[in-house]
Amino acid sequence: MKRSRFPLLATLAVLAFLYLPIAFLVANSFNASRYAANWTGFSTKWYQRLTEREDLTTALGTSLKIATYASLAAMILGTTAAFALHRYRSKFQETHRLLVALPLVLPDILMGMSLLLLFVAAGVDLSLLTVTFAHITFCLSYVALVVSARLDGFDFTVLEAARDLGATPFQTFRKIALPLLAPGILSGGLMAFTLSIDDYVVTYFVKGPGTDTLPTLVYSMIKKSKELPVINALSSIMLLVTFAVVAIAQRLTRRGSAGENL
Amino acid sequence: MNRRRFLESSVAFAALTSLTGCSKNASASAAKTLTIFTWADYLSDEAKSRFEKEFDCKLVIDTFDSNEAMLAKLEAGATGYDVLVPSSYAVRILGRKELIQPLDHSKIPNLGNIDKDHLAKALDPAMKWSVPYMLAPTCLAYLESKVTEPVSSFRMLDRSELKGRITLLDDMREVIGAALKSLGFPLNSTDPEQLAKAADVAIRWKQNIAKFENEQYKSGIASGEFFLVQGYAGDLLQVSEENPDMRIFIPEEGTSLSCDDLCIPKEAKNVELAHQFINFLNDPEVAAENMEWIGFRAPNSASYPHLTEDFRGSGILFPPAALFAKCEFIDDLGEQLPLWTKEWDRIKNS
Repeated sequence: MKRSRFPLLATLAVLAFLYLPIAFLVANSFNASRYAANWTGFSTKWYQRLTEREDLTTALGTSLKIATYASLAAMILGTTAAFALHRYRSKFQETHRLLVALPLVLPDILMGMSLLLLFVAAGVDLSLLTVTFAHITFCLSYVALVVSARLDGFDFTVLEAARDLGATPFQTFRKIALPLLAPGILSGGLMAFTLSIDDYVVTYFVKGPGTDTLPTLVYSMIKKSKELPVINALSSIMLLVTFAVVAIAQRLTRRGSAGENL
Repeated sequence: MNRRRFLESSVAFAALTSLTGCSKNASASAAKTLTIFTWADYLSDEAKSRFEKEFDCKLVIDTFDSNEAMLAKLEAGATGYDVLVPSSYAVRILGRKELIQPLDHSKIPNLGNIDKDHLAKALDPAMKWSVPYMLAPTCLAYLESKVTEPVSSFRMLDRSELKGRITLLDDMREVIGAALKSLGFPLNSTDPEQLAKAADVAIRWKQNIAKFENEQYKSGIASGEFFLVQGYAGDLLQVSEENPDMRIFIPEEGTSLSCDDLCIPKEAKNVELAHQFINFLNDPEVAAENMEWIGFRAPNSASYPHLTEDFRGSGILFPPAALFAKCEFIDDLGEQLPLWTKEWDRIKNS
């Protein structure tokens, strides 16, 4: 019997749909012309300009810094939230769950604006700190979601066994729960990292002077800059980094589920 | 596979990143800082470093990508900025909402350099709130090889041989504005009858164009996909460097001008330095270097002799006086805005 070719075709179509635009962007970062549809020869001049532009590298540094801090904090807070929601029952269980998940569906503009109003009302100067806090807010939900999913299949009798054998609650957490949950926490954290580094709307509202992140700077460059293709070069580099991060996240999740079957 | 090793290495990675972060922070704290909220790439590197050196301070630039986004942020109460660079109509809104402060003219002696012809039209002619920074007209551009007997007029938009190869900006103020100018009405008209007539013209244009488009038209005309486009002078001049077949013109009926202005927010911390910055930018040589770098026109008469002949000779940025007289600045419509959006909806849905 001949096997259907449909799955292969569908896969190729989806891959083309997803990655053709990206391939086009990468190709364009080597285009000597400023305009996408106009190939005037191979050139690495945009990469060279990129290295000369201090503002872009500073913005990239800011983005990375915020993403690192935000995802680390979100990993801690998100895991704690997921744990609490899973382990302890209360009258407002469902409400709590909803409140933690809400930032996932809340429009960015609403979140950015409300956080800005909050910071202004509290008299906090807009800075790197406010952006990081804002990012923790939405990153936390993603981590909580991923860790909750792992907790659903988690065998809590292991923890009880550890306690029976004389481990303190902290030891149980440190030696048993944490290692078992680590893949979930890390993949949640890496997801938070990529989300944080991509964010534009929330960041725009809560950023202060000198804390332009890459996305906010790029959006602004679209309007008046003469060197827009530098962004193609930068995007190509960022794509590479993002792909790497996602690949690691996937490997971790896969290893995690393989571990469950043991 | 060892999970703990993974944890450890990721912690090490995080520690490394935060370390590099700290070292950068330390170097950022110079003596005085002046923070500017502006568009990206809207100040030449040379002007920036010269100002920092002469006034022994650090310029911190923060960017926005539209006047509306900037207004939303400031209205919500965001502070920390010393100089803003919004478009003229947005300066009006900022002034009305008392988010900016009147300028102290005694601290800006270079105000005398500002182009009088420009001020005669400007929305803030007395420079009470703002000083004009960069100006550019909205133009049309076509490919010479595709158009027979070109005319410098909005009538080009009705050419049947260009059908489906034209783009107009996806901007109510530019499209209805162009239609108003083509009929000889004022650019900021709020007369319902004039607006209705202009919308009819725009609907007629719409039958002939490919689409309303704000970004792709640049690569479209560079590659020859579009034959006639409406666009901003700064952008079109850049494209024409790559496509020698391109001709840019200001329609003889006149066109819209957009200008970005320098102003100081009410909550500014370094008011003194902000005035010095505005004065510095209007120094003839600084203004000349800065405008050639940006590719727009700084309305600063004293700087014109310092420009290269090439730049000064551009009939687009420096149109003849008679043509410039017909151009107008886009003004804030205030309460009359719904009159325009109503007609714009009619155009979009036609």
